[in-house]
Amino acid sequence: MTDIYAGIALAELAIAALLLIRLGTGPTISDRIVALNAIAAQATLALVFFAAAADRTIYLDVGLWLASFSYLGTIVWARYLERGLL
Amino acid sequence: MKEWIVIVLAGIGLASSLTAAVGILRMPDVYSRIQSSSKSITMGALPALVALVVGEGAITAYGGRALLITFLLLVVNPAASHALARAAYKSGVPMWSGAVRDEPKEKR
Repeated sequence: MTDIYAGIALAELAIAALLLIRLGTGPTISDRIVALNAIAAQATLALVFFAAAADRTIYLDVGLWLASFSYLGTIVWARYLERGLL
Repeated sequence: MKEWIVIVLAGIGLASSLTAAVGILRMPDVYSRIQSSSKSITMGALPALVALVVGEGAITAYGGRALLITFLLLVVNPAASHALARAAYKSGVPMWSGAVRDEPKEKR
């Protein structure tokens, strides 16, 4: 069972690596933020499955934190794009 | 038996996430990419987390937190995508040259 979990975590990380291309080459800032948002979701999944594979419960809390606060970065960037600083 | 359920559910999730990644890489403009990202990333996360719940049981630490992360992603991901699409439109990111409708502009 741990092998399956480790494989799933690696596959999610591979998908996040694909998204890094868009993060590097996106023509506008919005493209990069879209890629960053998707990478955060994939990293959350990879962390959760890595926690199950390595049997370390502490990584679950890191994944939970990432899921609940990574969207704040997107919201802040969207607000900045819409209205400028402040 | 349980392992096969986990493999099938995670396979569905991974296929959806891969679709999202290819869409973000290949779509022509920001709005199509946001559409691809918001739906497919959410739908890729849900079956994978349900696979973890099936594999470890819902009452354990893994299953409970996986359910919590599922709920958070369901609530948070569409909201962030909506805010981002709105900000991109208001800051004047151009649409793809083949786009046919621009409803907010027509209404103004």
